Amino acid sequence: MRRLALVVVAGAALVRFGLVAQERSFLPNRAGSLKFAAIGDNGTGDQPQYDVAGQMDQWHGRFAFDMVIMLGDNLYGSQRPTDFVQKFERPCKPLLDAGVKFYSSLGTHDKASNDTYQLFNMNGERYYSYVRNDVRFVVLDSNYLDPKQLAWLEGTLRDGKERWKIAYFYHPLYSDGGRHGSEVELRVKLEPLFVKYGVNVVYSGHDHIYERLVPQKGITYFVAGASGELRRGDLRPSSAMAAGFDQDRSFMLNEIVDDDLFFRVISRTGATVDGGVIHRQETP
Amino acid sequence: MRRAWRKALPYYPLLPLGAVVAMVWANTASESYFRAAHALAFPVNDIGVAFGLASLAQEVLEATGPDGSMPSWRSVLLPVIGAVGGTIGAAATYSTYIRFTDEQILAQGWRIACGVDVFFCVALARLIFRRRSAVSVVVLMAVVSDIIALVIVSRRPFAVTADPAAAGLIVLAVAVSSVFYRSGIHSMWPYLLTAGPMAWAGCYWSGLHPALALLPIVPFFPRAPRPLDDLRVDRHEHTRFAHFEAVFAYPLQAVAFLFGLANAGVLLRGADTGTWAVLTASLVGRPVGILVTGLIGEALGVVPTRFIRWPDLIVIALIASVGLGFALFLSTTVFPDGPLLAETKLGAIATLGGAAVAFGAARILRVGRFARTADV
Repeated sequence: MRRLALVVVAGAALVRFGLVAQERSFLPNRAGSLKFAAIGDNGTGDQPQYDVAGQMDQWHGRFAFDMVIMLGDNLYGSQRPTDFVQKFERPCKPLLDAGVKFYSSLGTHDKASNDTYQLFNMNGERYYSYVRNDVRFVVLDSNYLDPKQLAWLEGTLRDGKERWKIAYFYHPLYSDGGRHGSEVELRVKLEPLFVKYGVNVVYSGHDHIYERLVPQKGITYFVAGASGELRRGDLRPSSAMAAGFDQDRSFMLNEIVDDDLFFRVISRTGATVDGGVIHRQETP
Repeated sequence: MRRAWRKALPYYPLLPLGAVVAMVWANTASESYFRAAHALAFPVNDIGVAFGLASLAQEVLEATGPDGSMPSWRSVLLPVIGAVGGTIGAAATYSTYIRFTDEQILAQGWRIACGVDVFFCVALARLIFRRRSAVSVVVLMAVVSDIIALVIVSRRPFAVTADPAAAGLIVLAVAVSSVFYRSGIHSMWPYLLTAGPMAWAGCYWSGLHPALALLPIVPFFPRAPRPLDDLRVDRHEHTRFAHFEAVFAYPLQAVAFLFGLANAGVLLRGADTGTWAVLTASLVGRPVGILVTGLIGEALGVVPTRFIRWPDLIVIALIASVGLGFALFLSTTVFPDGPLLAETKLGAIATLGGAAVAFGAARILRVGRFARTADV
């Protein structure tokens, strides 16, 4: 009985601290598949950001992702040309040199004018869309979700005929982060469009944790806002949480093969803290 | 009960009630609240508020017209330069706060800190001061501050389209009102039913905030003189059916309630940089700005000190820190629905704390009702 209690307590502790993911994953690493990484709230310029970037570079050696989606707060603090070097170009130099492209969204700490910074590939647009393989990525500016942007989003999703639709932006529609949590007001506006036009997966940052939500109305939501900043112990698990990690920095690796999206979440020290596969839901 | 209600009526008591309902609803059933709030936003903020601003403009025009009770220009100077100083102080404090927190995305929110809740401030001033001169200073300071704020936010940064040709509709509305006025029409209905929709459509399509639509035609409405510090409409000629304030006194209560309901529902855990920036700007920046310009005015000899003593001015400056309803309205003109709007709205609501500070200061400085001797 005591042994059983010990196992239960130890198990609960491991899940609490994110050491055990619900589904230990692998990445198929198949030739020709779309491989991408995801980072959020990364631009501190401090050592932990460099550590995460170092891990990403190591993984790139065996899992050759060719793009990185940036979920916002790409630069904290001052944003002079030297800051772009210290907080982005230097830590990401090996990946940039290897030809990896970064596609950024804007967070609350990013200057609006950063959309013209060439290496963020935003082409001067605060919200934009692009297609890789058979995947449409929709990048939103959740700071200013004005009617014009909503109209653009609806048109883009309606006209997108790709097999996968992935949206990413800064503020999470669902989050168990204690500091910020779910952005319900944004959810009321965005979720009906995501459901109507068959968005499959949504990535966000803002809360400085990693979290995977139980699919909401068929859509899987990730919070990946701990690639530079970290709010240790900030997870307040609810019934909507599928997995979470709030003890160290992390980033995500993703691979899309046919109707499956494989993901793996790596901590600053290289440990896998979550992973699994998302099967594409039927398009409405 | 009926008497108390009539006394409270000019201060829009249903606005805080709507705000409380909204806060409780948003924090207990947030999805249903935000759906309802989004549905209410257009009819309330773009149409209903137009009548609220028209009513305020009417009251100011009645007090400042040829037969109004406006005091001499020298005594007006203090509230006017106080309003300018308070606005500069609030805007500068907000911008400084944002600069230090490095959330430049909130930078344009300084406009929100420019708002002063006229009705709440007048009610507060009446509770603290017994002298009408002090209440008049508060009214004028708040009104001038809000006029500055309206000019600042008149163009919506996130307007869907901007059609300069639509400005012609506004000009036409003013021309029609002018013709009515010269024809001696003494009822506000023709103005409201013909020029009103034209001005509203012109504002809407030209990218100006439609809530400002009635302001260009209000100067042509029939008016009756009133004291600057008396917002009651149940007196003298204001009760006539032809008068805007008489007809809309009760409908505007409903607008006030719906305004509070549609705009004040924010999640309490949503406090963030924008909240503290608006709060600091309102509670610190505005009073400091008012007092600094008061000092400058006194040094230049343009501000008469015999009407308002320094302890009075300190309390007045703190009363003017309450942005509440007007700051809420301004926030909807600066940010679209979303997290930035939510956090700045929370700051606007939190400026209610200025009332407690003003009361505390009045008590410490022995101002108004806290004076040792009768302060009449």
